[in-house]
Amino acid sequence: MPRHQGARLALSQRQAAIILLLPFLAVYAVFLVYPFFKGVWISLHDWNLMAVAFNPDAKSYVGLRNYERVMWGQNITWAAWASPGFQIIGVLGMLASAFLYRTGRAGKVTALAMGIAALLLFVLPGFHPGEGGRWFDRRFWPTVGNTILFVGLAVPGVTITAMLLAAALDGETRAKAVLRTLFFLSQVLSVTVVTLIWQIMFSPRQGLIANLTELFGGSPIVWLTAEGFAMAAIVIATIWWSLGIAMILFLAGIQDISKDLYEAGALDNATGAKAFWYITLPNLKRTITLVVVLQIILHFQVFGQSHLMTGGGPNDTTQVLVRYIYQTAFRDSELGRASAMAVFLFVIMGGFSILQFVLGREKDE
Amino acid sequence: MNRSYYWLILGLSIPAFVWLVPTIWMVSLSFQPNELLARTTSSTALGLIPIPFTPENYIALFRFGQVPMWFLNSLIVSVGMTLAVLAVSTTAGYALARLDFPFKTPVIIICLMGLMVPEQAVFIPLYTMFADWGWHNSHHALILPRVAVPIGVFLMMQFFKAIPKDIEEAARIDGVGWLQIFWYVMLPLARPAMMTLAILTFLYAWNDYLWPLVSAQQREYFTITLGLASIQSNFAQAEGLGRVMASGVIASLPVVVLFLIFQRYVVRAMTAGGTKG
Repeated sequence: MPRHQGARLALSQRQAAIILLLPFLAVYAVFLVYPFFKGVWISLHDWNLMAVAFNPDAKSYVGLRNYERVMWGQNITWAAWASPGFQIIGVLGMLASAFLYRTGRAGKVTALAMGIAALLLFVLPGFHPGEGGRWFDRRFWPTVGNTILFVGLAVPGVTITAMLLAAALDGETRAKAVLRTLFFLSQVLSVTVVTLIWQIMFSPRQGLIANLTELFGGSPIVWLTAEGFAMAAIVIATIWWSLGIAMILFLAGIQDISKDLYEAGALDNATGAKAFWYITLPNLKRTITLVVVLQIILHFQVFGQSHLMTGGGPNDTTQVLVRYIYQTAFRDSELGRASAMAVFLFVIMGGFSILQFVLGREKDE
Repeated sequence: MNRSYYWLILGLSIPAFVWLVPTIWMVSLSFQPNELLARTTSSTALGLIPIPFTPENYIALFRFGQVPMWFLNSLIVSVGMTLAVLAVSTTAGYALARLDFPFKTPVIIICLMGLMVPEQAVFIPLYTMFADWGWHNSHHALILPRVAVPIGVFLMMQFFKAIPKDIEEAARIDGVGWLQIFWYVMLPLARPAMMTLAILTFLYAWNDYLWPLVSAQQREYFTITLGLASIQSNFAQAEGLGRVMASGVIASLPVVVLFLIFQRYVVRAMTAGGTKG
């Protein structure tokens, strides 16, 4: 270790801290904090991308009008069963969270978060245009609905598959390690490679899936352009893509479960599926919540799958929030409205991030 | 090992194979002649085995297309971003973990709040800023926004917090300055954490799609991920399916090789990025 007698304790701790922190704080302030507030500021303006680019004074302050134009409409009323699908799930979710909390199957934070999410799912879809009313933007809420549907399909799909795989692949043997690698591999690919592969997998003329159905005498499905199938197609591609991280998190969770529990269980004849149900599952509660929250954050921001595989179609059935923001900003040049939607996205994501943070801290419930 | 173990492995090999099929298929198609693929993609074993075999697609890729240039852009952006993230994260992470200074807790909280902001919430203002400065269509425009994301700072902070204090104290008694301690004592200890962060950043940079899509409008500044998106919509007509698939293979090669060599680090990096970012 070099000694610098001359420079002995030359810098105080405070000075050293400032020098070391400065590069990051500068980048952080300029490229994250400032843009964040600028985004909020843009959302309060009528701001056309092209017009403002040529003349910086072409924007005008409109207050919250962008939010109104995106999220509200004329004569909006609320009813309990305006959109039964979502609202029934909301009611069931509230009952489930109360039940899970009462029976001690879920901690306070988990139950509360689930309850709030379910309540929102009950309240928000209840708003609808009344007599002669209309939404100012009739695409926004359906887009949010599609995003929630995508999350609602992809998250359970990934979570359940990953948990079962992790339970089966936990262990130190070579074969299991190889299998884990195979299942994880697709996770490192980029979204454009994933969509390239699956676009052609699903192609009715050249696709592997079509080739298989033809082999068995069926007629190929036009997956990506058929309503009802397009969403399924991007969900399948997404599950294939993002299984790996969830599987690894479950493996870590399973390894934390004491081996004694399994030995004790084996004495009571609880092995295999029984051991999974009575020992593994109850002890994975925290991991399951963590994986679900993580996946919600990740998949709520879906963009590439929808943008590249289906183009939001057919008939807007796979249009998702980030793609709508992207299009509003860069195709329609409506930066103000797009920013209002981005703030909306931030509020939802921020809520889940706080939840994720709290769950990470909550050592045991 | 008993019999049920072998049944389990055998039973899981089938889904594992199915899981791998899309990837195998991409690789296999990339080695088949374009003229054949225009007629059928299932010549041998549903197209999973590349017979008839040809390396023609790859040769064409390197002769005519823009793929080599995009690949180079991706390398520059990914390596540049990785180095920049390592530089700001190790320094800031060390200061936040081990040094005392005024307003330390507020600074940590302000940095922590940055984790809540998704890329999608800032890409519009970033676009207007970079447009005002004339920065779009450049490598640094693709690099800088990610350097501001505090995830690396927190990974490094947690790592430095776990190092025993006496190493530092011994050096202090010897009269070594704080910056020297950071450079000569702490950084060598931090190599595994830096490796994890480097891989996390490299993978992110290589695979990022939304920001390059917004920022790089000229094809000369496309990354390979973005370039691949631009040619996949019309794969059948212009380039030929085999060549597009070959581009896909080339685009995946670095990350797959990285994964196979540093599997443990990659898994750790992706879970760290997933659980904290």
